[in-house]
Amino acid sequence: MTAGARRQASRFARPGVLVGGIALVAAVPLITDDIYYQNMAILTFLLAIIASGWNIMAGYAGYVSLGHSAFIGIGAYTAGITAQRWGVSPFVVAPLGGVTAALVALLLGLVTRRTRGAAFVIVSFALLQLLGLIARNWTSMTEGSKGLLLPLPTWSIAYQYWPFYYALLGLLLLSIVMSAAIKRSKLGLGLVAIRDDEDKAAGIGVTTPLYKSLAFIASAVLVGIAGAVYGYYVGFVEPGAMFDIVLSVEAVLAALLGGRGTVWGPVLGAFLLEPLSEVTNSHLGGSNAGAFRIIIFGGLLLVVTLVLPRGILPGATDLLDRIRRRDRVGVVGRRLSEAPVPQAPASRRADAGAASEVLLRVSDVSKRFGGVRALDGCTFDVPAGSITALIGPNGSGKTTLFNAIDGGYAVSGGQVEFGGRPITRLSRTGRTFAGIGRTYQLPRLFGSLTVLENVAAASGQFSLRALARSAVSGAEAARARELLDFVGLGDYLSARAGELSYGQRKLVELAQVLMLDPELIMLDEPAAGINPTLISRLAELVRALNETGRTFLIVEHDMQFVLSLCDPVIVLSRGTVIAQGHPSEISRDHEVVEAYLGEDYVPQPVPAAAAT
Amino acid sequence: MTLLLQTLIFGVLIGGVYALMSSGFTLIFGVMQVINLAHGALLILGAYLSWWMWRHTGVDPLLLGVGTSVIMYGVGWLLHKAVVSRVQRIDPGLTLVASFAVAIAGEGVIALVWGTSRHSATPSYFNTSYHLGSLIVPKAQLYACLGAIALLGLLFALLHGTFLGRSIRACATSRDGAALVGIDVDRCMTQMFAIGTATTGFGGAALAVLYQFIPDSQDVWIGRVLCIVVLGGLGSLGGAAAGAVLLGLAESMTSAYWDTRWTTAVPYMLIIAILLVRPQGIFGTTLRREGAPA
Repeated sequence: MTAGARRQASRFARPGVLVGGIALVAAVPLITDDIYYQNMAILTFLLAIIASGWNIMAGYAGYVSLGHSAFIGIGAYTAGITAQRWGVSPFVVAPLGGVTAALVALLLGLVTRRTRGAAFVIVSFALLQLLGLIARNWTSMTEGSKGLLLPLPTWSIAYQYWPFYYALLGLLLLSIVMSAAIKRSKLGLGLVAIRDDEDKAAGIGVTTPLYKSLAFIASAVLVGIAGAVYGYYVGFVEPGAMFDIVLSVEAVLAALLGGRGTVWGPVLGAFLLEPLSEVTNSHLGGSNAGAFRIIIFGGLLLVVTLVLPRGILPGATDLLDRIRRRDRVGVVGRRLSEAPVPQAPASRRADAGAASEVLLRVSDVSKRFGGVRALDGCTFDVPAGSITALIGPNGSGKTTLFNAIDGGYAVSGGQVEFGGRPITRLSRTGRTFAGIGRTYQLPRLFGSLTVLENVAAASGQFSLRALARSAVSGAEAARARELLDFVGLGDYLSARAGELSYGQRKLVELAQVLMLDPELIMLDEPAAGINPTLISRLAELVRALNETGRTFLIVEHDMQFVLSLCDPVIVLSRGTVIAQGHPSEISRDHEVVEAYLGEDYVPQPVPAAAAT
Repeated sequence: MTLLLQTLIFGVLIGGVYALMSSGFTLIFGVMQVINLAHGALLILGAYLSWWMWRHTGVDPLLLGVGTSVIMYGVGWLLHKAVVSRVQRIDPGLTLVASFAVAIAGEGVIALVWGTSRHSATPSYFNTSYHLGSLIVPKAQLYACLGAIALLGLLFALLHGTFLGRSIRACATSRDGAALVGIDVDRCMTQMFAIGTATTGFGGAALAVLYQFIPDSQDVWIGRVLCIVVLGGLGSLGGAAAGAVLLGLAESMTSAYWDTRWTTAVPYMLIIAILLVRPQGIFGTTLRREGAPA
């Protein structure tokens, strides 16, 4: 079989296996009328739904929750209470369970506006415990620890658990379809960017609050509906079983075991785990059953984190990849300077160059950290179409100023105007959309994404419809390729960003910023730590981009780079601007020499090659 | 007025004990950036050990708490070597999940060894009090609080007066920097984790005297500890002390003026409220963030 034919075969084989698998699972109740297996399958579906939901929040977006079973309880209680009061079947009101779960998830998402990582885990845990206590104490609504009795199923006993079985199987399929759709979409790409570096993601046009809210809703809504079905299945809704921390642990364990961040991992984990749980349940009886149960799950979770931290699926994929790539040679560094500078891609921004003469106006900006005045009444302009340099000794506040301009820090005082519009109150992403892009002194790329994905994740304007679009495709992907070609990394599209060298990462970050089509590009020490040929190459790229109308603000210590490329030059010292003007004036300015350049500084003649 | 004063006394006394209980947790976070969710289970283990020794020897359970601290130091050392340091090498993000796994499995082991019925240590002064006019100062609470304060003082002296303490604080500021000046960072981390865990020895003994406990109580206690450190700002020892007194007051106020049933919900409500409104804690300050993560 040729490679092409094999690929062809596998393209048909995969859906075949999928459809066959689903048909098989769906046929189980028709084949056997053993209640034991139906029960095991129902609990497996439930666990797989919770684990899939958890995976969207924790695997994609990186917000690990230890209380995901709370959404089961919320769904079960919502449906249970409304079904009882309105006298309808819990199936009818099950979607309400999903709605309540989604609302609570949104509330949980509010916490992530200002906290990350550890704090979120604590909140998720606290929420689960608190909801359990509310269910226990609010007896007028929930009947307390006595529990809420649900109506008996109305269908013929011949159908056994079929309605529960097919309802949960349907919800599981929906969960998988949704997980897969999110993973493929721009939304999914943004979530991974948030997981890797949330601040950076906000700076490249990922509207993080919206992305996270959508992810949180997606991760809760189906779990809530499943909770409603589960409550009906159990027949009575009681705080201990509905807000069960052990169920949360099982979900985390299932997702970790199968592989977090993958579509099928959590499902695989659940299908491995739940039967094991059933077997241990039926073999362990007596008063110690509960103790053995948590020892087994706690122990397994510990073993998985220590031995198989990435999970089965990613581990297997890696292994296959390594076998397949065994005899292929990787791309090595090419001498970029040999190729001529390509044509700079034109900006797609409609109003490019149309703004006023002053593109960025910083007036009296100050920033205090406790008692330290990092910026103290900073005032300067960046003329539209210029390549402006910002120089000054280490610790003079240059990077702080960048953070104040791009919205990384809220300023303590003063005003920043961009294109004649005050932007001091805009969020970080808002400023990105307004037309500001920046790079970092140490490049910040999303380590788990490829070079192409890193660039394609950036977008200079917001569009709700684009969220659902396929992550890397169409015009966006073509643009990203064009920009990577421009910076000379067209051969590295599918390399992981984490595998690149320092200099290459700087170039990828430049392409990423260009993807935003910014009017102002701020570069933080672009020449630091890269070799001299690459520096002059970088200068050529900047000049080529500047000729197409893009304005630059560059922090740099390499004086030759600055003096040959930039005009005007702004000098910062102790958080204030001490001089600004043409490079030749600056290098002779007495105060600048004293504060920064040093007495022995001799202005270099501008190199002929770079002066063109 | 008497009710208010009495509530304040209860709150402050229990706050002192809470402060010791959460000091180890917050130190471990401050130095290692590890959220040790097994801390609640370790407290319960400390309580069971103290209770068990008290049952067999009849010695004062709070005095035995000092011995329990030594045992818990060993447990902490083992836990760091066997689990925490390994997971940190593999994926630091999973440390929290691993510590949670330890908590869950530990609860199971405790239940197997000691069963699931309620216990509490009841020395001779249990349920007796000093009287200040119409105010009551329960002896057990007072002794536990004084012991906790003494141990906290010792911990503070250890961190600020010894070479080990200075090394630990150096590691907290910068691990690479500490390694460069010749500090054995791994050893330091293990020591820190073990010392932090040792606080659950006396903390557990106080718990055994003041409360009834079952293996499942670890949920409640990790909730309290988390609440205290969130209130005071994660990683700050002084903040934990202040947070502890605040939680003690909030709980005794709730049971005095509202409903004892809701007392257990107070820590969770506080956690959610604080992290929504002021995530750096009541006493925490925003520090300068670096432009790029290291």
